[in-house]
Amino acid sequence: MLDIKNLHVSVEAEEEDSEREILKGLSLSVKAGEVHAIMGPNGSGKSTLANVIAGRGGYRVSQGQVRYEGADLLALAPEERAQKGIFLAFQYPVEIPGVNNMYFLRAALNAQKRARGDKELDAGQFLKLVRAQLKRLDLKEDLLQRAVNVGFSGGEKKRNEIFQMAILEPKLALLDETDSGLDIDALKAVSDGVNSLRAPDRAIVMITHYQRLLSHIEPDHVHVLAGGRIVRSGDKSLAADLERHGYGSIAGEAA
Amino acid sequence: MSVADSYQAAFAARPARAEPGWLGQRRSRALDSFRRTGFPSRRNEAWRFSNLAPLTEQAFPPLVGGAPSPALLDLVAAHRLAEATNLVLMNGVLAPELSDALPPGAASMARAPEETAFADEAESGPAALNAAFSGDGLVLHVAAGATLEGLLHLIHVTSAERAASFHVRHFVDLAEGARARLIETHVAAEGAAHWSNEVTNIRLASGAEFLHAKLVGGGDSLIHLAAETVLVGDHARYEGSFLGLGGRLARQDLTVRLGHKADCAIGGLFLLHGEEEATLASTIRHDAPGATTREIFKSVLHDASHAIFQGCIRVAPDAQKTNAHQLSQTLLLSDRARIDAKPELEILADDVKCSHGATVGALDEDQLFYLVSRGIPAAEAGAMLVAAFAASALDIVSDDTMRRSLAAQVQGWLGRRA
Repeated sequence: MLDIKNLHVSVEAEEEDSEREILKGLSLSVKAGEVHAIMGPNGSGKSTLANVIAGRGGYRVSQGQVRYEGADLLALAPEERAQKGIFLAFQYPVEIPGVNNMYFLRAALNAQKRARGDKELDAGQFLKLVRAQLKRLDLKEDLLQRAVNVGFSGGEKKRNEIFQMAILEPKLALLDETDSGLDIDALKAVSDGVNSLRAPDRAIVMITHYQRLLSHIEPDHVHVLAGGRIVRSGDKSLAADLERHGYGSIAGEAA
Repeated sequence: MSVADSYQAAFAARPARAEPGWLGQRRSRALDSFRRTGFPSRRNEAWRFSNLAPLTEQAFPPLVGGAPSPALLDLVAAHRLAEATNLVLMNGVLAPELSDALPPGAASMARAPEETAFADEAESGPAALNAAFSGDGLVLHVAAGATLEGLLHLIHVTSAERAASFHVRHFVDLAEGARARLIETHVAAEGAAHWSNEVTNIRLASGAEFLHAKLVGGGDSLIHLAAETVLVGDHARYEGSFLGLGGRLARQDLTVRLGHKADCAIGGLFLLHGEEEATLASTIRHDAPGATTREIFKSVLHDASHAIFQGCIRVAPDAQKTNAHQLSQTLLLSDRARIDAKPELEILADDVKCSHGATVGALDEDQLFYLVSRGIPAAEAGAMLVAAFAASALDIVSDDTMRRSLAAQVQGWLGRRA
């Protein structure tokens, strides 16, 4: 589903000389139905990877390629990527005053449906869909009537991301530090939400600093990202090793 | 003949009217005043940002009436509000056949208005020309304790085959505790550039409430200048919303004087594109203690458009316990667009709560990315953010019907731009 080969990415700067390379030859392959965890110390390039896949501006890809379902992903605008089934759960969900959460989500779902040639949902159908998912994520309905993420607690923002994911039903979901800032209850609600979305035709890539999310959502593959490259890959036991020994030993191997 | 001289000549040549003596004298004095001052120059602080060249480089002979063209009739039809009493002014002249019946006893359209309608405060050159040439206009009296039934909607449509000016003058007089709602729409048909010049004097006796909303919907042929003066009595309330959606050059001057514990809410929203220029220049005078002002001005500027906001709040020495807040926010959506925002607080009392703020910026990149990352096309995402930005300027409109009507116009504008 997702194939990344030798990806080099810099943060764009006014002058090319002062650009800082964040990803330095990253390769990663994700198949449908798999759950991957990408772990790594702060500053290793985890969020950069998620942002480049989702299409955020401000980055320059100097080398390498990203193929999604066999096509060049980097040639697509961010909305096209979303329409083709890519979803990024933000580390810091953005507040948008004046844009109603419900209106926003319906516009997003219908834009995706339109792009795929599917029938759009009317307000009634959408509300039905939304109510079912709200229940699963233990979210209050009044959140929908507020502006996007405005006045939401940290936990509500993260739940809202997973709620959007549940509604939009992506093929490839990227969860960027979704566990950060969550208390135990919220972590459980979010994990349950993600687990319920595991499916044979859907891949999930979790980006996280800590192992704790992985004890709730069991990954098939764990990768360690350090110094802009995947330095080690393994199964879920790798996450437990990391928790015991820290990133230091592995980052040392990479150097 | 200079442009200024052309107005003298037009005044001398105008057909005789059956008018009261005081009015003839008032018109002559106004013309003398214009002869001395002419059009305001950029040296005049209140006008320094406005580019009046489209108005001053050629003469716009005062015109009255003219046959209703199909284009004007179409404009009237397009702008009628089903939920209002629609009154139509076509090229400055009341068109009774297109207007709804007035609510009983409250309002009248008059050609020979009363003296107080001409009691302008400091008169600019354009307002002086209005006093000299004005014809029809709305004269609205509401008796003490009465509420004007329904919403009045004044539709101004204009067009010209060659340069022309139309001068309308309104007078609103609400007695103690009276209430009224007025919405105005100004639109122009395609054709030659023309100048629509409006003066409105409003008197609110103690405890009265007047809700006023005004939309300048444009047409590239339109030059619109307007001066509104509002005397707000003790415990009275004035609400003014000014929606600028176009016109080659549009300027709204607003002077409000507030009595004891009076309340004033002003909203301005300009959505401009092309080379349009629009100004809101307001002066709110807190002359007595305990009055409140809330003023919010927003503009969304595309292309090479230019918005100007001059917002002055003056608090007199004995106007203690004044509460006055002003905010100006601009979305610049093009490198060539321009905003001149000049907030100004002049506070001579010491026990007051006053604030002002101004922001200018582009659309927020993080917000945009959030929306497009969910599959919403970039243009639609931008429109959503602009709509959200604009909508809050209408929050001050307390009347649902008026707010819905203005919001629909904003939606329409945004839809055409998307």
